[in-house]
Amino acid sequence: MAYVATRGGEAAIDQSERLFREEMGEITPTRIEEVKAALPYLIDRVMGEASLYDEDLAALALAQTGGELYEAVLLLRAWRTTQPRLSIAKPVEQDGLFTHRRISAAFKDVPGGQTLGPTLDYAHRILATNVLRGETFVPPAVVLADKPAKAHLPSVSAWQAENDLVDLPQPDATDGNDIPDLTREPLLFPSKRAHTLQSLARSETGSALALGYAAMRGYGQAHPTVNEVRLSEAEIVVDHPDGRSFSAGRVKISQAEVVDKKGEKLSLGFTATFGWNEVKCIAGATLDLNAPGAEKGSATEEEFFLYHTEGVESSGFCIHFKLPHYVTFQSSLDAMRDAKAKKAAERVAAKTKHQSEPAE
Amino acid sequence: MTDAPLDTLARAEPTALKAFAEGLIPHLGDIEVHRSRTALVMLPMRDTAQGTNFHLGEVLVSEAQIERQGTIGYGMVRGHDLERAMAMALVDLALTAGVQTNACSDFIDIQSQALAAADETRLRKVEATRVNMETF
Repeated sequence: MAYVATRGGEAAIDQSERLFREEMGEITPTRIEEVKAALPYLIDRVMGEASLYDEDLAALALAQTGGELYEAVLLLRAWRTTQPRLSIAKPVEQDGLFTHRRISAAFKDVPGGQTLGPTLDYAHRILATNVLRGETFVPPAVVLADKPAKAHLPSVSAWQAENDLVDLPQPDATDGNDIPDLTREPLLFPSKRAHTLQSLARSETGSALALGYAAMRGYGQAHPTVNEVRLSEAEIVVDHPDGRSFSAGRVKISQAEVVDKKGEKLSLGFTATFGWNEVKCIAGATLDLNAPGAEKGSATEEEFFLYHTEGVESSGFCIHFKLPHYVTFQSSLDAMRDAKAKKAAERVAAKTKHQSEPAE
Repeated sequence: MTDAPLDTLARAEPTALKAFAEGLIPHLGDIEVHRSRTALVMLPMRDTAQGTNFHLGEVLVSEAQIERQGTIGYGMVRGHDLERAMAMALVDLALTAGVQTNACSDFIDIQSQALAAADETRLRKVEATRVNMETF
């Protein structure tokens, strides 16, 4: 690849940015509130991919980019670098999650039962076109159950471990600054598991789905069964200067565990992310499940899927091809013309030789 | 275990918290502000497949730290709201310094009940989505 320095175009660049922003119109606090209220799942997706949790910032990024998701995520990742990091919270554990949705496709009678929570999984997909004709869509209210659901539940795999179906992992004693962190160190292969899971947590949803789907369709070694999908809120547990621990609030997270039979036990894949985005989690967990022993260069090989699901890098690389590549392209054209000229010369030489040879 | 009053203050209704903290200022006298800023807190999670702790990502928080005669008041809340973090720090300082403790405790009780009620309503909605499946 080669680049050439170019001059000129400043006025065009200025006006093109103006044209983009003019079409977006004014960005007001009201617009931010509307984006936040109307599109919570989009906000979740952006926060997950940006690896930065704040609904206001995500809504602002969406408003500022007109919903161009790659630009929105890039804005947030860039903004994040302007802020100091105060601390690392206590690791989130399963029984500390405030659960809103928990389902299993593997066992219908998981301890604690299954609650569908907020979902359109079983809804008719019908566009409410009446709204376009001036009517208001009023969602029917939920009929409250007499008693509340249990908020805190263990993972399905913990129950399976009690039944000798999976090996219970040893709890990781690593915490704080000792947890490997991709934002401060490079992703190297074979990847540390903490890096793999952090990469999947901030992966671009569409890319994770595309590669996970490839594995599901048979381009992987293991077929996933969803052991558990959970949408929940996690506490951000931090320390007061006097040593007391407290929760500074809650954040929405989603997670998926998928399983496959391996010998006499089940093998597990796992992914979690900020916000409620279960497609990414199921796809990511499928990639995690398939990674051990995957063929080099296959969709389920760790290096392949971690590099290709990083949305800021992949979209950045893709759109950089729009930038001037005049030297590269000119060089390709020169090579092409040269080859063409050589071929033409060869043809002429062959013809001359043929004409000058005596007939037998 | 986490500290229940601090848990409540961090999630207390912002307008009510700010109004209540405003009323504490005359009782607290001179206060030195050490920190009032936004920052990030990294949130790790434990993987259920292999037990590995990994980072989910960073959360935007607002932080305030104040001092009165050697006693520290601290506030940290989620999001960009420096006033709210400062209000939390003021209530924390008042409680630790023994200033207006009954009023602070009453405020925290009311807020705690409101948060518990909101959680219960949400969980009753979640319970309404419980499935009791039969397979054939």
